[in-house]
Amino acid sequence: MGRRAPYANEDPAILKRERGVDPIFLMLVLLLLGVGLLMLYSASSAQSEFDSGYTVSTKYLQKQAICAVLGLGCMAVFSKIPAQFWYKYTNWVYVISIVLLLSVLVIGQSFNGAKRWISIGGIQFQPSEIAKFAMILMLARLSRSYGPRAAEFRYGIMGFGVALMGILIPLALEKHLSAIMLMGMVAVVMMFISGTRSRYLMMGAAGAVLFLVVYITFMGYAGDRVTAWLRPDEDPSDTGYQILQSLYAIGSGGVFGLGLGKSRQKYLYLPFQYNDYIFAIICEELGLVGAVCIMVLFAGLILRGYYIALHAADRFSSMLAAGLTTLIAVQTILNLCVVTNLLPSTGIALPFFSYGGTALAVNLGEMGVILSISRHINGARKQEEDL
Amino acid sequence: MHTRRTKKDTYRRIRADSGQQRRMKIVMAMLGVAAFLPVILQLFSLMVTHYDMYSALALNNQSRSTSITPERGDIYDRNMNILASSKTVENVYIDPRELHQTGADVESMSQELGKILDVDPEKILKLAKDRSLRYHLVEDRIDEDLAAQVRSYINQSGISGIHLEPNTQRYYPYHTLASQVIGFTNASNEGAEGIEASYDRYLSGEAGRVVTTKGNNEMDMPYSVERYLSGQTGASVITTLDMTVQACLESQMKQAIDRYDVQNGAFGMVMDVNTGEIIAMATLGGYDPNNYLEIGDPEIAQQIEELRLSYLQYPQESEGFVQGKAEYRQQLVDARLKQWRNRCLSDGYEPGSTFKTITLAAAIDCGAVDLNTHFSCSGAEQIPGRSQLLHCWRSRGHGSQTTAQALQNSCNLAFAHIGLKLGGDRFYEYVKNFGIMEKTGIDLAGESSGVFFDKELITNTDKWGTSSLTSGSFGQTFKLTPVQLIRAISAVVNGGYLLEPYIVSEVVNAAGETLLYQEPTVLRQVISEETSATMRELIESVVTEGTAKNAAVLGYRIGGKTGTSEKIDVFDENGQRVQDKIVSFVGIAPMDNPRYIILVALDTPSRETGIYISGGVMAAPTVGAVLTDILPYLQVEKVYDLTDPSSKMVAVPDLSGMSQKEAEQILKDATLDAVFSGSGETVAGQLPAPGQNIPGGSQVIVYLDQQIQDDMVMVPDFHGMNVEQASQAAANAGLYLLPSGNPDLTLPLQVLTQEPAAESQVPRGSTVQIQFTDPGAHD
Repeated sequence: MGRRAPYANEDPAILKRERGVDPIFLMLVLLLLGVGLLMLYSASSAQSEFDSGYTVSTKYLQKQAICAVLGLGCMAVFSKIPAQFWYKYTNWVYVISIVLLLSVLVIGQSFNGAKRWISIGGIQFQPSEIAKFAMILMLARLSRSYGPRAAEFRYGIMGFGVALMGILIPLALEKHLSAIMLMGMVAVVMMFISGTRSRYLMMGAAGAVLFLVVYITFMGYAGDRVTAWLRPDEDPSDTGYQILQSLYAIGSGGVFGLGLGKSRQKYLYLPFQYNDYIFAIICEELGLVGAVCIMVLFAGLILRGYYIALHAADRFSSMLAAGLTTLIAVQTILNLCVVTNLLPSTGIALPFFSYGGTALAVNLGEMGVILSISRHINGARKQEEDL
Repeated sequence: MHTRRTKKDTYRRIRADSGQQRRMKIVMAMLGVAAFLPVILQLFSLMVTHYDMYSALALNNQSRSTSITPERGDIYDRNMNILASSKTVENVYIDPRELHQTGADVESMSQELGKILDVDPEKILKLAKDRSLRYHLVEDRIDEDLAAQVRSYINQSGISGIHLEPNTQRYYPYHTLASQVIGFTNASNEGAEGIEASYDRYLSGEAGRVVTTKGNNEMDMPYSVERYLSGQTGASVITTLDMTVQACLESQMKQAIDRYDVQNGAFGMVMDVNTGEIIAMATLGGYDPNNYLEIGDPEIAQQIEELRLSYLQYPQESEGFVQGKAEYRQQLVDARLKQWRNRCLSDGYEPGSTFKTITLAAAIDCGAVDLNTHFSCSGAEQIPGRSQLLHCWRSRGHGSQTTAQALQNSCNLAFAHIGLKLGGDRFYEYVKNFGIMEKTGIDLAGESSGVFFDKELITNTDKWGTSSLTSGSFGQTFKLTPVQLIRAISAVVNGGYLLEPYIVSEVVNAAGETLLYQEPTVLRQVISEETSATMRELIESVVTEGTAKNAAVLGYRIGGKTGTSEKIDVFDENGQRVQDKIVSFVGIAPMDNPRYIILVALDTPSRETGIYISGGVMAAPTVGAVLTDILPYLQVEKVYDLTDPSSKMVAVPDLSGMSQKEAEQILKDATLDAVFSGSGETVAGQLPAPGQNIPGGSQVIVYLDQQIQDDMVMVPDFHGMNVEQASQAAANAGLYLLPSGNPDLTLPLQVLTQEPAAESQVPRGSTVQIQFTDPGAHD
């Protein structure tokens, strides 16, 4: 059969059964977005006042809200785009994102010492956000085409691996360690689901750990982070400052918190209180109860995302939904572990909460993709293996 | 290829893909549930288990503790006169952010505020524009008037962002009086000198604190927590000082400085002989603790100001400017340190002949000499063990003298022999027991212990000769502090008891509880009661018979010893020793039962005045004048010699309108003699005027029916007159002469002081107190 395998859901019968998006998933996304914006305002107000010479408290909220609106637009649009569109253009998206990643090295803008941004038409964004999506698309597509062969080394490791490296190598050139880690983890999860033998994955994980050890040994800067993680009170005013301030914020929240808007640590004690460490402020203001509620929302979103993946109409959609859900899940968990000092600082933001326009818009767009897939759950699932 | 599938097919196919589904469910459980568990456990640990620890750490992290200055305790003299107290003043500060937010016109605000506070408006403007802080102090410690002006400006202009906050200002009602003893507090309200420093721990109280949560970078937080920790008001310190005595002492010392053109200031003190209480302690050339940075001595202040003006003439940063400025700073700092110094306990000086009382007390106590020992003085003598001929201050010598006469004459040769009879070991031991080599333990900071000879130098005369022993015996070539000397001589006359002097008798807290009560402390008995009794007689005889007659006070039994010492360590620019002298006198009163001991020392009287430089001429009458003032005030009873009515002062009765007979009787009752003038029936006038105090037995001139002028007369200038001239001048002026001071009319006495001052107008018939002195009194 020299023909390209026809894409799923070309069957009019299945298309006819198309319904609306999954309401539970949509509700969870909107809830997280709403609570996220509220907490961003609370966490960023002091910094905004300070930055603006005590005139504006909503500087960060305004920018984030604009991106949220743009992101909701993306979500709405993407929820209408059927998965086969992405299947069709996977290669294009993949190549474009690599080009963008590489272009950062040439025309990128520095922020906090790292060159990760490019500016197009006055809008700044991080190509790595798009690269994440591109990688997931590529892995989902490969997963579909490999099918059971994914268990073999040639496909399960080499095939996926090449696709992964295409993204990771430019990121390594940007020295964007957090993105590499994040994508590595997402890729491993997707490979696992696809059927890559656990044995190979273990070996890969061992290799990653080895790489990390070498990296930490040779990069003093990352080594400091580990020291700060294990013994934050050794140097409370320098390397341990960030994590100690985070722990003060969390611990002083207690069971019920100081009350919405009443954080003290946000008054410039806790650095990055409005992006990477926003969860510490949440703990301080809303207490253990509020923090657990928000974690439940995230867990619900993740579980529902996998549910959609499980019930997706075809393998590509399923893997795409699973990959995007994994991306949200890994980001969330890594962020929470860092903020609570279970892991050393990595620089991964909390989805829907942390300040960062590109990330929010891209995340919402990705939610749109999952919503689009959710239109076809509960229907018969096309089994590509049989085709 | 596309076949329709039945429901059954679908289920089968899903099962066929169960591997992927199974793995996805594992991932779902891991990332959707399991991964959150460690986070929840960690949160539980941080927020529940360790909540107390972290909330305390967080609060500590966010808190700014501001201390509230407690009210400082007062300092009182023994009669509860306030020597130091605090008043509330205000600080003016601005909040640049508030000014900015309310859109205040900072330019005009700076001008206006600068005008009110006398602060450079440029400086205020600069502060107002610096919004990095919300607190900029514009002026501290302004008084009520100024604060009211600032308030009314704030109200008028409607500017918000100018604030006033309370602060305290220490004030000293007696200004320069006893300033080195009282001390002062520095800019941060800490005691820096004197009692303010020594008793700071009582006076300062405990600072209260306000703990406020504050944002980093001084950001204000809307939901901040404030906690007040109350402080404790400082305790009050009651001293043994008597400011009336202090004022008398300082005033007489000041007069002596002017009179004898004393170059290097003066120091003096009054102590209770039996308890060690310091009644007065003065270092002249002092400062006003209300402005402790200002140089009190106008001459020195002038010199330093000239230095400042001279370096300002140079261009800035030039060598002359920098050097001149350094020189000016150095001089200013030195002058400040000098004027803050309490010389009564911080500086040693050569006691000179005043020390002979101690040598003699030791010699009598151990039996080395007795009252029948004879000494001969030829004016100069080769003392065995001394390389050079020893000269007595009186070059023609004192001839043969008894022990008493040796002290009265202050004969150096006799005392050299007393020292030799005493021997180095005993001399050293006695001096040590008299507390000369140790600090007295007075409750004031900065006490030094003087410089006495090494024991070896005194005791091993075989090796080192006798010059240290013999010179030491008459108080030369070593240094002790005034308070050491006063304490040692107190022991000589009080029965032999060495005391620990003190200046604070009681510390009382704000609640009225006594925190400290000082009892007199006897350290040891140095000489026997008998020796002390003998010494009292000998010391009194110095005033009645010897070199200290100028210290006599009418109606009181005064004892004392003069001293004139050469400063051994003052050299001129050529390295030649300058013959600078310190003249001093230690007085004790009353001698039948000593209560007060007083020392006055004048450092370097000028040789230009032509007055003979000696303790007897300069210090003794000064002490006499002080005693004349303070003994009645201190309610020391006068000694009435029944055979001599002149020892008692009586008030002249009002005789007007009386008959001659009545007047005569009344005057007789008052132990006064009447001399009648005129021939009328009734008294028309009298001299002295009624109410004047004159010695018993004096004559009162009673005018009968004779018009006596009831006018004001001018007091003549009596200075330098002898007794006869003074009497004549008083009679001519229609004034009544009241002599005091040296009573020995066989001496060529001169008028030293007069009261009221020359050229003042007084009612005819007033008394003029004249202090006579013997300008030839030596040592």
